[in-house]
Amino acid sequence: MRESTVMKIHYGTALAAVALVAVHILMRLTMGYAESLEYENVLANYKFVPYAIMLEIILVLLAVHGFNGLRVILLELKQGRLYEKSVSYGCLIGMIGLIAYGSRTIIMTNMGIV
Amino acid sequence: MSQDDHREGIGGMINPRRYGIERVAYLLMRLSGLGLLAYFIGHIYETSNILRGQVGWDDFMDLISGTEGHIIMSIVIAMCVFHTVNGVRVMLGHGGMGVGKPARPDYPYDPASQNYKHKIGIYSAIVLAAVAMMYGLAVMFGE
Repeated sequence: MRESTVMKIHYGTALAAVALVAVHILMRLTMGYAESLEYENVLANYKFVPYAIMLEIILVLLAVHGFNGLRVILLELKQGRLYEKSVSYGCLIGMIGLIAYGSRTIIMTNMGIV
Repeated sequence: MSQDDHREGIGGMINPRRYGIERVAYLLMRLSGLGLLAYFIGHIYETSNILRGQVGWDDFMDLISGTEGHIIMSIVIAMCVFHTVNGVRVMLGHGGMGVGKPARPDYPYDPASQNYKHKIGIYSAIVLAAVAMMYGLAVMFGE
């Protein structure tokens, strides 16, 4: 993929994540901060399907943005064919792993497998 | 002196003193990005504790709800706000906004892109990060 396309994705995921993370944080402030983190309230958040979908979207957006950012930082430090391929594939694997692990939490909690 | 002796490596890249506030912003952008990625990975692990049921969740909440947890959270808030505001500035700059018009380089060769608009953007990001951090501390310790 061209680097210009990758950077468009980087900026697009950033802007979308800012909007959705703002909603995610505001949900913590709809009641007291500590109260919003109580087990029942967090469980209710996960079981509310639109909110669970939003969490999944945030997970994908931030994983793509975060691991691409890490890739860019690592490529600024050192260059070389093997190094660049290792970094790119390493970040891709990390991103997929994190999305899989986070999705597991969202899906299992939403379906009541707790 | 050979050419290699002039190489400063990572130390030269991250030196914030030589190139003004723009280099400080460059460094903070990367540090906050790495910090936020580390927090994000930790947050994914932290929230997975809900699968351990109420006891597991409450145990983990007790672990992170102390003073240290709140202080770490306030630093995360500051990093998040700085990264967002400075990121918007960088995006606008990459889009050609606020970087000046191309012109012949004349003495003293001030780069048109490093102008007051972007400096204000960087200082605003730092101030907003500090304000958000204070607000976060007030919310977390206010209860």
